[in-house]
Amino acid sequence: MPNPTDPNSGNQAPVGRTESDRLRKRGRLKNLVQRPEIGPFGVLILLMLALGFFSIPAGVDSWNPFAGEGFNALGIRNNTRLIAQLGIIAIGAGLLIIAGEFDLSIGSMIGFAGMCMGVMLKWGFHVSLPWWVNTPEGLTFGWVQVLSIPTVDPWLAVCLTLCFTLFFGWLIGFIVVRTGLASFIVSLSFLFFLRGLTEVSYRAFNKAPDQSSGSTQVSGLPDIKNIIHLPGHGEIELSHAKKLPHEDLMSVYDTMTPTQVESLTEKLAFTNKRFAETKTQINETKALESITRDLKFAEQSGNTTLQETLKGRLETLDIPPVTPKTVTDADIARAHLESFPTVNPLADFFGGDILERLFDWLYVIGWNVNNYGNQFSHGFYSAVMIWLIIAVAAYLVLSRTQAGNWIYSTGGDLEAAKANGVPTGKVKISLFMFSAFCATIFAAAQVFETNAADAAKGNLKELEAIAAAVIGGVVLTGGFGTVFGIVLGAAIFGIAREAFFYIPFIDGSFYRVFLGLVLLTAALANENIRKRITGGI
Amino acid sequence: MSEQNPVVSIRNLFKKFGNFTALNGVSLDVQAGEVHALLGDNGAGKSTLIKILSGVYPPTGGEVWVEGRRARFNSPRDASRVGIGTVYQDLALNALTSVTRNFFLGREMVWGMGPLGFLQMAEMDRITTEQMAKIGINIADPGQNVGTLSGGQRQTLAIARAIYFGARVLILDEPTSALGQKQQMEVLKTIRQVRDLGNIAIILITHNEIHARLISDRYTFLSLGEVIGKGTAKDLEGDDIKRLMAGGAEIGDLAAELAA
Repeated sequence: MPNPTDPNSGNQAPVGRTESDRLRKRGRLKNLVQRPEIGPFGVLILLMLALGFFSIPAGVDSWNPFAGEGFNALGIRNNTRLIAQLGIIAIGAGLLIIAGEFDLSIGSMIGFAGMCMGVMLKWGFHVSLPWWVNTPEGLTFGWVQVLSIPTVDPWLAVCLTLCFTLFFGWLIGFIVVRTGLASFIVSLSFLFFLRGLTEVSYRAFNKAPDQSSGSTQVSGLPDIKNIIHLPGHGEIELSHAKKLPHEDLMSVYDTMTPTQVESLTEKLAFTNKRFAETKTQINETKALESITRDLKFAEQSGNTTLQETLKGRLETLDIPPVTPKTVTDADIARAHLESFPTVNPLADFFGGDILERLFDWLYVIGWNVNNYGNQFSHGFYSAVMIWLIIAVAAYLVLSRTQAGNWIYSTGGDLEAAKANGVPTGKVKISLFMFSAFCATIFAAAQVFETNAADAAKGNLKELEAIAAAVIGGVVLTGGFGTVFGIVLGAAIFGIAREAFFYIPFIDGSFYRVFLGLVLLTAALANENIRKRITGGI
Repeated sequence: MSEQNPVVSIRNLFKKFGNFTALNGVSLDVQAGEVHALLGDNGAGKSTLIKILSGVYPPTGGEVWVEGRRARFNSPRDASRVGIGTVYQDLALNALTSVTRNFFLGREMVWGMGPLGFLQMAEMDRITTEQMAKIGINIADPGQNVGTLSGGQRQTLAIARAIYFGARVLILDEPTSALGQKQQMEVLKTIRQVRDLGNIAIILITHNEIHARLISDRYTFLSLGEVIGKGTAKDLEGDDIKRLMAGGAEIGDLAAELAA
């Protein structure tokens, strides 16, 4: 590596060469290899190969990585959810690190946001203020309700929650910028503060009947994302609608057009047929196994007559095929209910599924099928789409806009940014708010997917988010990193556990050992890249 | 050189920090197309003077005129608005981003509204390359990181940036310190190129007598907050410069003194 600070090394003056000639000597391939994302990308590919390979069940002779549990339809659905959820907060944490600050409050913010949404959806939104109240005994100090919204719909719940979380994000940023305290300690304070506030609030709202202690969770919310409007029944949960009495289902059936009936009949008949075929196959395998086992015992004991009988049975083995269930009108009506649009599209956006059509098609072509012949998975979790939307938006802002240049310079050289008129304080506060926004989106996806909220949600997530960002090439001292890298980092973090779970002969918890090593390596590599760019080596 | 219309004119400038008088009635005129060297030992008041000029401190008394207009500023932004561009020693560059991104830092060209406007990268790259070439540096790739530039190139970048964003007075704070020999020459060449543009007044602060002598047209010597001497390059003999730089004290023969 030539030392750029000393142009006079060597005795002879370089003829016809200028400083700028010293750059641009690398080829395209070298440039590609030197991109900071190349390391994480390689690790991700390795992990995916490991997951694909080791999750193939023992005894199945296949090199197809999609044959195993890691990458079958359900595996993909579950793994992508894990990655997406981490990915959402990693982008918030990563952008903030690029601007030179930390947010350790992300995990607590997730719990807090989940609590806000859960409590509001269950009990509504009420504001009371302490004030003097006129009572028969005179003026006393009491609570006056100034605002009361008994039923809160998902829109209002998400918006009000965002008001709270964005305020806390702003507050953290404001304190950091104004006082010059390290964001580590400020956000650490909010880690405790928000978690405590969450638990206190739960208990306050959620008193057990005996008033002794409250639970720190909200459960038993309706399946908000799957509430449909059914004429004659109003708004009703899909699962309840499917269990309606026969005559109600028939009245749904009566509203259907002949083409709808025809296409659903065809679809259900296909499913029933596949189910029956699979059942037949299972029966056949079972019978075969049982006879073969008996035959083995007979051979061991030397019982020749029994051997003959069993061999004869093997030859004449004829399992009667299971007849497919006939498609009833009630089945058609139930299937039709599924096509009713949800009355809460926002809840569906956060907690529902996407690409259901694709997964239906994958079932038809015979891949998305579980062991019983039913459809394995009904789509990706919506969190995957939200993650990708946030990632694309963050990429555009960071790499293509003025704000992006401000973020890089705020983290890269704060004094230089200030001297050039960059509003570094505003940049930092906005990113603390963005981090809180990402935590809220994470919580919304969780609440609307599971229809429950829990004070313990999001525990340690802030550290995972920071680790994912660092694995993806973000330098902890700021000023360096890309959204693409953060996306890769989250994917590595999310998939490592699954991959290690399937590797035979080793304890699944080795994935943490592995992640620790990857994190350390990444941090060293990032620092190296940063030094190379700043001319340190 | 005409003495009629100085680009910047400092009249009887005072600056007191509590009881301490940093500047005690300093006057100074700088013409367009001229390099004016501001010389003096540590503590002479050079830094205070340029900080007042670049809007960091308000003066306690006296006036600053820029292009015939009384200039008052409360912030560095105000100073750069009236055309005073200061290139500090640390250059205010972010080594981790590209030349273009640094050139336009804080003043990016964007499509669309506000900070979320999209950068006009191609246009900004073109302007950066053009402006750097104008004062004598051809950069291979405006997309390269500033960290990969030599010290001289960084200096040029900072100067080109100040000029492009409307500096009529360019204040250079020890531009050659902390550079290698060859890069020092490069920077001096750059300064000469800027002078030859003809419409920019340059105030050069330096400790290096040789560099001052190589490119300066006019000198002002400060000592303990006062002007102790001024003149054109022709007026001053070599020993005068040395003596005045040291604050008026006679420097004996160092070699003889050390030998004693």
